[in-house]
Amino acid sequence: MEPRPPHRHVDELRRQLRSLGYLDAGVDRFVLAGATGTRRPIAIAIRASLRTGILAGVLLGPASTIWLHRQLPGLITGPRDALVLAIYLAILFGIGGTVAALIAGVGVSLLARLAGSAVARRGRVLSVTAGSIVTIACLAYLTLWSRQAQGIETSLPTTMVVVALAYSVIVSLLLGHAVTVTALAIVVAGTGSAPDAPGVPGASWRLAVAAGILAFCGGLLLFTIVGATQSSRGAATPLTVVSSGLRIRLFAIDGFDPHLFETLASQGRLDALSVFAGARATLDLADVRQAEVVDPARTWTTIATGQPADVHGVRGLETREVAGVRGRLSMGGQSPMGRNIRAATDLVRLTRPAITSRAERRVKTFWEVAADAGLRTAIVNWWATWPATSGTGIILSDRATLRLERGGALDGEITPAGVYERLRTAWPQLRQRAESLTNSALRDAHTKGDTAALLRRSAELDALQLVLTQEIATAEMDLVAVYLPGLDIVQHALLNTSSGTNQSASAIASRLAALEEYYVALDRLLAPVVRANSSELVLVLTAPGRVTTSASGGLTISGPSVRQATLTGTARDVAPTVLYALGVPISRELPGAPLLRLFSEEFTRRFAVRYVPAYGRPSTRLAARQGQPLDQEMIDRLRSLGYVR
Amino acid sequence: MSPVPQFFAEYQARVDVELRRLVPAGDGRVEQSMAYTLLAPSKRVRPVLTLLSAELCGGTVSRALPAACAMEIVHASSLILDDLPSMDDSPLRRGRPANHREFGEAIAILAAFGLLNLAFGAIAREYQPPLAASLAGLLSTAIGVEGLIGGQSADLLATEQQITFEMLERIHRRKTGALFNASATAGARTAGASSSQLAGLSAFAKNLGLAFQIVDDLLDVEGDPAETGKAIRADARKTTFVSFSGVAGARQLAMELCQTADRALAPFGRRADRLRALSAFVAGRSL
Repeated sequence: MEPRPPHRHVDELRRQLRSLGYLDAGVDRFVLAGATGTRRPIAIAIRASLRTGILAGVLLGPASTIWLHRQLPGLITGPRDALVLAIYLAILFGIGGTVAALIAGVGVSLLARLAGSAVARRGRVLSVTAGSIVTIACLAYLTLWSRQAQGIETSLPTTMVVVALAYSVIVSLLLGHAVTVTALAIVVAGTGSAPDAPGVPGASWRLAVAAGILAFCGGLLLFTIVGATQSSRGAATPLTVVSSGLRIRLFAIDGFDPHLFETLASQGRLDALSVFAGARATLDLADVRQAEVVDPARTWTTIATGQPADVHGVRGLETREVAGVRGRLSMGGQSPMGRNIRAATDLVRLTRPAITSRAERRVKTFWEVAADAGLRTAIVNWWATWPATSGTGIILSDRATLRLERGGALDGEITPAGVYERLRTAWPQLRQRAESLTNSALRDAHTKGDTAALLRRSAELDALQLVLTQEIATAEMDLVAVYLPGLDIVQHALLNTSSGTNQSASAIASRLAALEEYYVALDRLLAPVVRANSSELVLVLTAPGRVTTSASGGLTISGPSVRQATLTGTARDVAPTVLYALGVPISRELPGAPLLRLFSEEFTRRFAVRYVPAYGRPSTRLAARQGQPLDQEMIDRLRSLGYVR
Repeated sequence: MSPVPQFFAEYQARVDVELRRLVPAGDGRVEQSMAYTLLAPSKRVRPVLTLLSAELCGGTVSRALPAACAMEIVHASSLILDDLPSMDDSPLRRGRPANHREFGEAIAILAAFGLLNLAFGAIAREYQPPLAASLAGLLSTAIGVEGLIGGQSADLLATEQQITFEMLERIHRRKTGALFNASATAGARTAGASSSQLAGLSAFAKNLGLAFQIVDDLLDVEGDPAETGKAIRADARKTTFVSFSGVAGARQLAMELCQTADRALAPFGRRADRLRALSAFVAGRSL
């Protein structure tokens, strides 16, 4: 009789039992449960892959929703959005997981059929290889995804990345294990015999449960960190205002060509604006106007926030609305890939076009900072201001005119609600005032036909914004800013080469003449409002508009404490300059700096630039939203004005 | 030894009554030989497992009873064959002389085959074709080379040989585990169970089957022959789980396996308490 084997340590036997499929009531059972009762390898592969897909969907759907929330602010506006998106992503990852597991399973099944007993002998090695390939592929995909998120949000905390990666590792291992189990079952079913060493490699209920708990904790931790990060990053510092006694009136004119302006001014055709001889800064807008992206929402949000588009989050006028989700998603900008994704998701009705909104903006604008500092502010018609937040002064968002025309309950177009009531009551008179201003501005225009209608419509739009501004802006207002789109609309309609086919010299000359007439009309509209009094700074801010990729804008200041100077700055300097003039401290997070040389030496000596660490995130307290959304009307309006196709 | 729960005794009684009905009546030696082993006092763990599994999956005891009896009949047949001089050469079974000692080898072999035949016949007669075919297939696998026959063959070849732990597990997976698994699965199938229910019960039966075998090995070392009905150290020529882990280690592993079996029933909730009582009974045979 042979000697007895020595008593081996129980732990070792326990490990062996696990590897033989005992002491296990976890993932294997779940993955293979669907395949119970079938012996056909392909059927096992399909059924087990479906369950692996479910596992992938459940584990990755909610986690990736948290990531997307971090990566694309504005996409998720509430729990319902998060739920819908989590379901979408779970389906997406579920399909991905199923396909990956199916490819591995079918591959193993084909090998088992072709190689027969040779495969049976190496069943364990083959299964572990299939599982490892899926693990590595899954991990690589998830890691790249995390890295992309890090690339967009440059200041992503390291801990978050580590946690996300750890979660990815756990999920990848789990899915790889599921594929290993499936592959082993296929080998056994396909060759009709058990592999040399029975049981599932690495199978153990403890490992599976531990991985599950870890995966769950990872997701939970990630969620907690995201929540904590949002409240701790860039936390707002209380702002104290050292008032210079100056109030600011800011007029933002889009589609402005400084050379054409100079020519017309020298001809004496621009009375109001040419006498407006203040300090002037030429703004280099190259950083906001990449050669191929000339987008008003992006440009003007950069100017308003002093931050680049990657930071402020408004990347373009057109975004996508994901079906079932109130938030927005900007998809790949103007790149071919972005267009393809949009087309593909349009096709399956998963997304539809939408107009960018305030919800996508991640940082505060200068008027929000001023309002936080306790100043009285009013803002009219600036891009990406809908839906308005409450408690940030008076806001007539980019949809305010539409709401005033349509009437009915507010859907965040105007805040506070009292202002809407007042404007709505006075609306017929306001329209009339705007119309008479337009008539006066275009009194000696010679243009006829369609072009005349274009000029009138644009002038009416600008006049309406100015009338509304006058209506809401009392003398005590510290900051009033209005965006005037008319010149850009006219310039785009007249000069956009893609829309015009008649390129004869006379046609071009007549279009140019019409554009010049609009400069004159705008000059007349602005004449009553751009004259600064002793306690007012009037700022005229210009950008070249959509027809040119020219990267030069302008900031002209008139009023007391202004120095006659011409200098160069960037779009990022506008917000700090405005805030400095108001006596508000500047955030160290802002990349730009106040253009101090626009102010008199005495002023800069008396009022040193003060800094705070951060302004914090924008308020999320939405204004009243009971009314019907004007999404479609907004798209139609912008389409008729040539902003979107 | 832990006391048999009340419901367990009732199920055992119902199985006994049904077995008496099924076993061929007659004074012939073969009939006597078949009844001798089949109706000998027994725990009826396998048929009770079948009945409990059926109940757990929403079925009834009466519908599962023929399948449960078929499992016990197959088990009785395997006991007769195991004890033959050409195999384990055991003199004692269930507290009485082994079948071949009472009726002679030839009759014992015939009785074993008679029982196997009886099992398949019971299934064929008591169930409609699709279910009958499915259960017959199940039984055939449990008996065949991947089941009892393969396990017994490997066991014979391993006697007085040094074998690895994996080989030992493989022997018992087929000798004991296969019929445990078939018992649970058969009960679930008579109740039209879903694939996830089947998978849960299968995991339960797999762990319970091995625990049962380890406890058997422990009883062989330290049990009371009056209780076990077998001669103590009957397996002394064989490598058992106790050889690998020692008595305390084997006891520990058996307990963990029973606990795992219970965990596999988690999706069933409190409804599976009777099966948990069964696993507690299996563990309690020695613990």
